[in-house]
Amino acid sequence: MNPRKEAPVEVMLAWRNVWKNKRRTVLTLLTIMVGCAMIIFSRAFQDGGYGKMIEDSIASNTTHIQIHEKGFWENQSIDYAFKPDSELMAFLRTSPAVSACTRRIHAAGLVSYGKNTYGALIQAVEPDTEKKVSNLHTTIQKGGRYLVADDGKNIIMGAALAKNLKARVGDTVAVISQGFDGSIAAANVTIVGIFKSRNPRYDQSTIMMSFNQAAETFTMMDYISSIAVRLKQTEDMEKVRDQLRRLTGSKPLEVMGWDELLPELIQHIVMDDLFAKIFYIVLLLIIAFGVLNTIQMSVFERRRELGIMMAIGTRPSQIVAMVLFESVYISFIGSLLGILLGSAISYYFTVFPIDFSEYQKELAEFNQITTILPTKLTVKNVITTAFFTFCIGVLFSIAPARRASRLKPLDAIRQL
Amino acid sequence: MSIITISSLTKTYDGGGIEVKALRGIDLAIGRGEFTAIAGPSGSGKTTLLNLIGGLDHPTGGALTVAGSDLNRMTPRELSDIRLNKIGFIFQAYNLIPVLSALENVEYILLLQGVAKGERRDRSRRILEEVGLGREINRLPKELSGGQQQRVAVARAIVSEPELVLADEPTANLDQKTGSSLLDLMHDLNHQKNITFLFSTHDAMVMDYAERIIRLSDGMIISDDKKKSGRESSVKKVKKKK
Repeated sequence: MNPRKEAPVEVMLAWRNVWKNKRRTVLTLLTIMVGCAMIIFSRAFQDGGYGKMIEDSIASNTTHIQIHEKGFWENQSIDYAFKPDSELMAFLRTSPAVSACTRRIHAAGLVSYGKNTYGALIQAVEPDTEKKVSNLHTTIQKGGRYLVADDGKNIIMGAALAKNLKARVGDTVAVISQGFDGSIAAANVTIVGIFKSRNPRYDQSTIMMSFNQAAETFTMMDYISSIAVRLKQTEDMEKVRDQLRRLTGSKPLEVMGWDELLPELIQHIVMDDLFAKIFYIVLLLIIAFGVLNTIQMSVFERRRELGIMMAIGTRPSQIVAMVLFESVYISFIGSLLGILLGSAISYYFTVFPIDFSEYQKELAEFNQITTILPTKLTVKNVITTAFFTFCIGVLFSIAPARRASRLKPLDAIRQL
Repeated sequence: MSIITISSLTKTYDGGGIEVKALRGIDLAIGRGEFTAIAGPSGSGKTTLLNLIGGLDHPTGGALTVAGSDLNRMTPRELSDIRLNKIGFIFQAYNLIPVLSALENVEYILLLQGVAKGERRDRSRRILEEVGLGREINRLPKELSGGQQQRVAVARAIVSEPELVLADEPTANLDQKTGSSLLDLMHDLNHQKNITFLFSTHDAMVMDYAERIIRLSDGMIISDDKKKSGRESSVKKVKKKK
């Protein structure tokens, strides 16, 4: 039977050395713990916030995937329309990843009431299926209602647009646009509801009417502007988008995911993430210099002791290993405590999200529709943060460890 | 047969632009099992000589062979290994590892040598009992008196039964009684285990115990005297003083 292998002597010595100066070790552990916890919490706040912003935008009107004729998204014109074929519709109906899909018609036009005329984006929806892909129907203000399938010449409009027009529920407004066939499309329509979403862009410019009425008003002849697809899980978007792109490969269609439909949001996230990363690097450097200072001081104070150890036969490599193990212990325990603190704070704000509703107006200026930001703690966040904290702590100890191993025993022993 | 052979050994220090000649051509041979003291006033070069023999410093010139190894030709790692396996050190200021207990300090050398745990513990315990510290094995250095710490240092130096023990003024910080009992102990070990002891000292008691006294002055050997047995005369003297 093999005897149980012993831990190297450096490991045992390092552990004891760590606790030789308890106060300094505890202070260093606190630095690592707080730094690591701050990074974990900030990243959880970012992950949760980004996720919520994306989900809110998807739910408000964007949906996970939209299918248009090529060129529609760039030109936003009724001229770009297509006839969805049965193969495409069958896929959308049967794909297990798809929660619901709906057809839409989009047109740009003018809306007039009394002496007021404003530009408007007209979005025609199939009310029953639209309710399954977006949540605009939940934002109808008191006294109004959402559209129904056979709503005829009834519309709903954004609150800001209604306010500008000085129109109310029950008023009839004139809508002028261009038909798909190039003719003038005009209609007098009655407001049956006013919505106030958290997206000021919609509220200022959007009119919604029923799909059937729009098909007639804009002479669509079975053509549509887009199909909006809502998935069961946001994570499936890329997979389903790829499937749809393969399916529509030879046709002049564009299949766009939410990331392409929301470029401003993506840009905002990228910028925010960049600044956050700079902040994390600063925090990691603070941790690194905390560990460096502790190890450096510890080596400096023990020069004589290290000299003795070398004089009685301890190899320089063993001195390096011992000092590095001290840093491994400090960095490991600090990271572990950081995980516990960071996770606890993050969990608290997952249960009790931070509410920015008070600043809704200010946030709206930056197209920010999300005001309640929960944190989202992920295993990846915890593991990568702890890993980087640990590694940077150990990495910054290499220099003092090497310096310790280069001490000349005799010079070191002579130190007071 | 010699365990230490030195010829024309010189050591020069740079003392702030001034050349300080610490050793000026030493020729010396120390036989196995000797109990030898290098004596001389401060600055005579005795500690320098001991450091060179222990591979802690490099000579400026000359040849130096310890336990068959030419120290001038050894790498730092080889010097570490020879210090670990063939030489035991006893320093003036005890110099124990503060985070280790008395037992662990002694065990440390065996641990570095890769001795198995059971054997390591047994040998360390036994040697600590031999130096009269059987009850203090679990105490940290700071919990031991100066004399006790130096006993631990002696135990650490001899636990691996090295061929040579170098002791730099081992009794300098001890009272006479403690110093005397320590010298008794080392003398016994010298006789029982045939370990060569080489002291640097200006303590008359150490010189009384020594069987050979090499006197240095100004970096040169001025006398090299052998006695039959240093211990008996010294014991008598200590008893008289009591």
